[in-house]
Amino acid sequence: MPVLELKDIAKQYNKRVWGVQGMSLDVEDKEFIVFLGPSGCGKTTCMRMIAGLEETTRGSIILQGKDITDLPPRDRGISMVFQNYAIWPHMTVYDNIAFALKLKKLPSSEIKSRVEEVADMVKIGTMLSRFPGQMSGGQQQRVALARALAVRPKLFLMDEPLSNLDAKLRVIMRTELKAIHQRTEATSIFVTHDQSEAMSMADRIVIMKDGEIVQVGTPEDVYFRSADIFVAGFIGTPPTNFFYVDVKKENGCTILDHEFFKAELGKEDSDRLSGYEEIVLGVRPEDFILNKEGNGILKSQVLVVEPQGAHQVVALEVEGNIIKTLVPSDHSLRPGDNISFDFDMRHLHFFDKQTEKRIS
Amino acid sequence: MGSIRRGVFRSVRKTTLYIVVAGIAMALIFPMFFLFTFSLMSDYESYSEWPKPLLPRIKVEFRLTPIESVDGSYKMEIWNNSEKGFTPFGPEENTRANKSLRKLSNFIRNYSNCFISEKELSEIMDSVDQNGAETFILKKKVFNNYTRFFTLYSGAAQSVLNSLATAAMTVFLSLSIGGLAGYAFARYIFKGKNVLKLSVLFVRMFPPVAIALPMVIILGKIGLYDKPVGLSLIYSVNQVSLSIWITASVFMGIPESLEEASQVFGASKIGAFFRITLPLAVPGLAACAMYSFIYSWNEVINALILTQFNPTFPVVVYRSLLGANAQVHLIAAGSVAQALPAIIFTLFIRKYILQMWGGVKV
Repeated sequence: MPVLELKDIAKQYNKRVWGVQGMSLDVEDKEFIVFLGPSGCGKTTCMRMIAGLEETTRGSIILQGKDITDLPPRDRGISMVFQNYAIWPHMTVYDNIAFALKLKKLPSSEIKSRVEEVADMVKIGTMLSRFPGQMSGGQQQRVALARALAVRPKLFLMDEPLSNLDAKLRVIMRTELKAIHQRTEATSIFVTHDQSEAMSMADRIVIMKDGEIVQVGTPEDVYFRSADIFVAGFIGTPPTNFFYVDVKKENGCTILDHEFFKAELGKEDSDRLSGYEEIVLGVRPEDFILNKEGNGILKSQVLVVEPQGAHQVVALEVEGNIIKTLVPSDHSLRPGDNISFDFDMRHLHFFDKQTEKRIS
Repeated sequence: MGSIRRGVFRSVRKTTLYIVVAGIAMALIFPMFFLFTFSLMSDYESYSEWPKPLLPRIKVEFRLTPIESVDGSYKMEIWNNSEKGFTPFGPEENTRANKSLRKLSNFIRNYSNCFISEKELSEIMDSVDQNGAETFILKKKVFNNYTRFFTLYSGAAQSVLNSLATAAMTVFLSLSIGGLAGYAFARYIFKGKNVLKLSVLFVRMFPPVAIALPMVIILGKIGLYDKPVGLSLIYSVNQVSLSIWITASVFMGIPESLEEASQVFGASKIGAFFRITLPLAVPGLAACAMYSFIYSWNEVINALILTQFNPTFPVVVYRSLLGANAQVHLIAAGSVAQALPAIIFTLFIRKYILQMWGGVKV
């Protein structure tokens, strides 16, 4: 039985604009769910509805079998980490963490041991008597985390908690958050617009766009079996490259026909595309395979080379569109060089040109 | 060599700056200092000595000499600082008669703020009889003017209470009504918010005197004329709007997520306000309280029109200025007494105000 059930929840602002429209989701016990989407897609609104900070216009939220849709935030058994930390500047770290426990009227010895336990977990055990103003952003983030952990919630919500940290700290905190999750096994929902954060942390990713769920799946699902053009273009750096191609039959084989290239498909893909005449072909940057002989499927010239260490991002211009490919660093390439690629035929993505949905 | 010249130039610039700053500070502080000094001077110092000393005297020198022609009578003299000598002081002839002694003692008290009993006077006369003229020094009672102000102008003490009551009610009204409205302006979106916010300011555009007459009639009808409550209501009209603007910006500066966090962690909506927002808003509210207090404490014109037998303290000071028996040193004492509470109140909440201006962080 799922811990959290969202049943067709929706949010409308000012009786006009829909923030979230009809979202349904089951979250299993101990799962780490990430809401991912561009800004304004409704992911934070959705989280705030679960927390009770935003009223739901429609639908119901069920936590451990109990309908919490109309309960005030404090009665929901949920804890939350805010984007700007939202720790209280007039209280010490200890008081911040102990706030909820004191309101629950726990015995003070119990409060003390719990505060110390979570403070050690997030490595701020020595700073309990400080005020937040005397701490760095990263440390404040840890206080917010400790405060949320101390209440041992049924559900743990995190609203872009890492977005205010610098790049290096963000990667460190990512790992620590995941370790903490594995240790506490708290069911968690994490909101982010950073797809690499989502990929590295999530058990399942919920990709949202314009207030609706586009795809729910494991990181592998959304990466290798993207539900539509939006997901394929959103997940992965650099994103998927798209080509508008015609599907043609030549000598019994299915051919993808583009102004710049022709690609012959295998049996399985041919069956999938039967009945389609025009499709959108999606090719991930790493699925371009450099053809050293220069007689690959796609021939073009190097526009820009971006070294990344182990590999380099090579940008080409095809039909006025920039195509980004990943090439190992041992090939030295310069702008203007002629270059030729084959496609990794196992990982091609096909999308319907009208509906933009994946053809499977 | 260049570095030395630069050093000299820098110190010259610094010195000039300090002189200018000190000059401005002097110009600001000196009138207050003079007023305070004046309030400590006796009648004799105020009216019979020129130039005025920067510091008031603490001790006064007197001389008692026998009058040769009339047996058993004495002449009293006081040291005059501007003439550098003794000048006649009090009745021309003083005798040992009880009536004469009391007259002399009262005169010394009223005009030099020194206290000497009739018995002590007659003892001095004894020693004058034996040794001839004698000079003696009396300690001046420095704050005597203040006591005298409050005894001379009847109702002054009651008027201080009236003023305090008015100020307290004004602070309470403007903080409670203004603070809540400010919170609403800061946190909620509602129709006509901007119009309302501007109209709140609109109230302040009327000069209080312009609406004083209708106010007298209205207050009279509801039975609050000549009462601190009525006066504080009038002051609140002005102060609430100011408080709304100050507190709205204070509450806007406190992130809403702090309240939301406390709601998630177990507080009710009202609890979140009292546990989180209110403590964080204290510096701003203190500044607000200060403005209301000082306004209501110092206000004269409305108080003059809206009170009759229960005036506030500024009205009493104002009336003392007008009176036929105006005594400058006493009025100075009244003025200082008038300024003091506002200064004390400001010093008392100084910490919070500095906090609001970013002096100290929480």
